[in-house]
Amino acid sequence: MQTALPHVAHPVVIGVGLAYFAVIIGISVWASRRTKTASDFFVAGHGIGLIALTVASVSTAVSGFAFIGGPGLMYNVGLGAMFIVLPAAVTNVMGAWVLAKRLRLLGEARGLLTVPDAIGARYKSPAAQGMAGVAILVGIVGYMATNALAMGVVINAIFGVGIGWGIWLGMGVTLAYSVGGGILAGIYNDVFQGTLMALASTMVFLFVLGAGGGLGSLSQTILADDPQFLAPWGKLTPLAALSFFFVFAMGSLGQPQGVHKYYMLRDPLQLKWYPLLKTLGLILVLLLYFSVGIGVKAFVLSGRMAPLGAPDQATPALLLSVTPIFLAALVFSGVAAATMSAANSFINIGAAVVMHDLPVAFGKRLSNELRWGRAATLVIAIAAALLAQLSGAMVAFLGIFGWGLFASTLVPALAVGLNWEGATRAGAIASIGVGLAVTLSLETAAYFKAFSFPAGVTASAVALVLSFLTFFAVSWLTRRTAEAAIDPDVRLIMEL
Amino acid sequence: MADDRVEPRSETAMPRRIDFTRRAARATLVASIAAIAVAYGSAFTPGGAPAWAPWLLAVGVPATLVAVMILGAARGHSGIGRLKIPFAFVFIVLASGFCLALALPGNEGPASQLWLGLPARAAFVIYGIGLLPILVLPVAYALTFDSQTLGASDIEKVRALSRQNVSGSP
Repeated sequence: MQTALPHVAHPVVIGVGLAYFAVIIGISVWASRRTKTASDFFVAGHGIGLIALTVASVSTAVSGFAFIGGPGLMYNVGLGAMFIVLPAAVTNVMGAWVLAKRLRLLGEARGLLTVPDAIGARYKSPAAQGMAGVAILVGIVGYMATNALAMGVVINAIFGVGIGWGIWLGMGVTLAYSVGGGILAGIYNDVFQGTLMALASTMVFLFVLGAGGGLGSLSQTILADDPQFLAPWGKLTPLAALSFFFVFAMGSLGQPQGVHKYYMLRDPLQLKWYPLLKTLGLILVLLLYFSVGIGVKAFVLSGRMAPLGAPDQATPALLLSVTPIFLAALVFSGVAAATMSAANSFINIGAAVVMHDLPVAFGKRLSNELRWGRAATLVIAIAAALLAQLSGAMVAFLGIFGWGLFASTLVPALAVGLNWEGATRAGAIASIGVGLAVTLSLETAAYFKAFSFPAGVTASAVALVLSFLTFFAVSWLTRRTAEAAIDPDVRLIMEL
Repeated sequence: MADDRVEPRSETAMPRRIDFTRRAARATLVASIAAIAVAYGSAFTPGGAPAWAPWLLAVGVPATLVAVMILGAARGHSGIGRLKIPFAFVFIVLASGFCLALALPGNEGPASQLWLGLPARAAFVIYGIGLLPILVLPVAYALTFDSQTLGASDIEKVRALSRQNVSGSP
């Protein structure tokens, strides 16, 4: 989303923005009084109810990309951009079948706190747990820096304080509730933020359809001037669009910010309705992605809006030139909510890796995990804010590989490994290593233009495929070790 | 990092029954990932991706997703039961949606007939791939949850084993 947002600085936008921050602070103060143990801090004491967990999960599943970058991409390449969000139709229920029950029961049996914990328990391997932790930490650096920059851009757009101050203001508020209330503050702030995002998205969707005379009318305007926009792949190649679908569908099983939530549900039997509710929530939040992308294209082609200077201006330009100011204010706060919610979740997961998974990998255990967790939270947030402020264009590069890195390093070992007794720790370690090495080397080579991919192929997709093939091949080669390397409680959970 | 010691396989282990559902799902997963790898590999050849490459993804990606869902949904040796139907439905919807988008002529224009506001190929993708699975999969998950996914007795079994582990530990 970079630095393309215009300064709004309208009294209504500022007023709604201040009200938003006041609610965040109120929730955080309440949550910090209830956080007393490391389990409270990292997995909310395994005590979150279904509705709260669902809304929070929707909130962390989307970042500012769904509100700014995604609609901009759709304005630019047409319907092909929808292949990033179409997997939402299957990913939540796929995650429920593949991971939710087993992770929740592992949490029940072992008191696990983190996603690498589950990998460590499955393969009886601190090394695999440590490698998964390192992979998550590397991915989080990128995600956190991009979200910190996004916060700076949005807060600057609302209050006109400058991007640098915006980064520190946004990160300061996020940090305050992350350090004080841990994931409990994060969850209840996510509930508020997710509700705000769904409300804003639905209202924008209805407004765009109403203002454009319905979807058919918008389509006819576009078909008259730019029919390729409404081709199924838009202006992408079929291979590129299908690659998006593959990476964002299969990759969802390795996103720690979503997977980690399964540990937190109070009653495992409530998982029954979780995928349905989460899918419906996600669809509401993603309505803006579709409607702004298609609406702005039609409005620009019909002369109702001026052509955009940059694709990322699609959402703000629509809000400032077509919609009522209160709706614009709501969406700007919704974008701030999306970035802060994602940042909080990543801060928490990163802190857990630093104070829990890495010490476990080296055979140690910290004595006061809550205190160390708070300290790690502080360090990660400050590092991300500094990185966002100092690295300039590099931050976009850091953000690109976050999703792909989580996918290629975690999906085979975690999602397949928890459902296949034949998977071995050597297979898991090899696939995590290959995912990490291939993603980092290919993304770096592509970023510095040392190598260019053929049309339709991405580093994330190649890394995910290679990681899968490595996992299967090494597990097959070391298959004699598979059966004995599973503890009885883990085996029971895998068989249920 | 701590050493990963490999434990030998027990010589006295009982022979395990072959689980055909999981085995078929794993074979499908490996085959479909290999098909996707071939499609990507073909894009590196001179002249770029051949015309058949997207078809491998159009079938391979849905197969991958359904295979991994079957692996997750299979329970003990009792397979996936009634879930065969929603899984087959979703594979058909996704694969036929992608294949129709590839196969139908790309003639979108001002005269295109609109289906619920979108040209035909776009409608297949947005409504078929993006919405139809939502009407089936989460509902199938909820309706089969008690019998196929998790019951109170399962949780009690896990808790009992956990208590046993704790009391047996030094």
